[in-house]
Amino acid sequence: MDEQRVDGYATAMFEVARVEGSLDEVEDELFRFARTLEGNDQLRSVLTDDAVPAERRRGVVGDLLGDRASPVTANLVSLVVGAGRARELPAIIDRLVQRAAAEHDKVVAEVRSAVALDDDQRKRLAEALGRATGKSVEVKVVVDPSVLGGLVARVGDTVIDGTVRTRLDQLRETIR
Amino acid sequence: MRTRRLAASLALALAVLLGSPAAAYAAEGGGEGGGPVDHAAEECIKLLEAGSKIDECQEAPNPILPEANELLWGAISFVALLLLLWKFAFPPLNKALSDRSEKIRSSLDEAATVREEAQTILADYQRQLADAKGEAGRIIEEARSTADSLKRDLTARAEAEAAEQRERNAQQIAAERDRVMAELQSQVAGMAIELAEKVVEGSLDREANLRLIENYINSVGGNGSTPSGTGTRSGS
Repeated sequence: MDEQRVDGYATAMFEVARVEGSLDEVEDELFRFARTLEGNDQLRSVLTDDAVPAERRRGVVGDLLGDRASPVTANLVSLVVGAGRARELPAIIDRLVQRAAAEHDKVVAEVRSAVALDDDQRKRLAEALGRATGKSVEVKVVVDPSVLGGLVARVGDTVIDGTVRTRLDQLRETIR
Repeated sequence: MRTRRLAASLALALAVLLGSPAAAYAAEGGGEGGGPVDHAAEECIKLLEAGSKIDECQEAPNPILPEANELLWGAISFVALLLLLWKFAFPPLNKALSDRSEKIRSSLDEAATVREEAQTILADYQRQLADAKGEAGRIIEEARSTADSLKRDLTARAEAEAAEQRERNAQQIAAERDRVMAELQSQVAGMAIELAEKVVEGSLDREANLRLIENYINSVGGNGSTPSGTGTRSGS
């Protein structure tokens, strides 16, 4: 039932973004918002709290995305949060991103980096991951300072980890 | 009855004994009448006239040998008394002596029987005492054996428990030492990693990060396999 609901929301949001003609931009903004929501407990607790009125939750979304994202993105997030589905929002967005990538016969590679990547780096990274996985890859970058340095890419069930954080963790386990 | 007959016999014998001198005296006095004295006086007068001395006319009686009549009556009385005694006194006396002897003999037999019984009882008592002593000795020996066995068992058990306790203590000490060492190693590792993180964070500027990204891109896309310094894992 949850899967159907996630699929339903993802399909609706995908169609809205495509009709609005800003699918790539909306998709990218939604993806970053989903990662932000996953990494911010305070934001997640506010948006998923049923005791908080829907208007208030939508107000929070508006304050957060009003001048940082396109109106379509802000409206879509506000719609889902107002419907009380903020808890499923990351899964809905992931499904939307996968669907968008599938439209171009691509798979989504979620990449985490301590610093932002420029377009050239994204392109070369997508090509490199494509060669590594044998698939056409669409890169979605999440800036995550906790990785310290380097990159980690998740393509489907495959994770290619080259972060300093992971190396330090491995070193810690080795020493122990 | 027997006592009465014995008393009667004794009374008769006493009467005979007391009556015999009186009869002899009566016979002596009644037979002569005063004649002998006169005859002796006449004889003495004749001797004195014949020129004899006075001592020759009076002959003193024999102090040892009694007169013939006394001797006769004494013998008769003695025989009569002897017969009476033989007839009446001796049989009860003999019977009393025989009874007395028989009584003493029976008493001696009874005493011998009692003595034999006492000997038997004493022998039984001594045998039972010996048995009791033997049983007591056996019980003591058995108790001593049991005590020795118990002592050995307790000693062995105590030694085994002590050895087990020592082993447990050694294991606990070793485990505690290992735990402390592991904890210490973990703390040292954590401190080293934290130090390394600080060093890395301090040295990882944007340029260094971009070089890492370039290395990653080149490594991932270079040979299509897991790049050096990176890890590949499956699972969400």
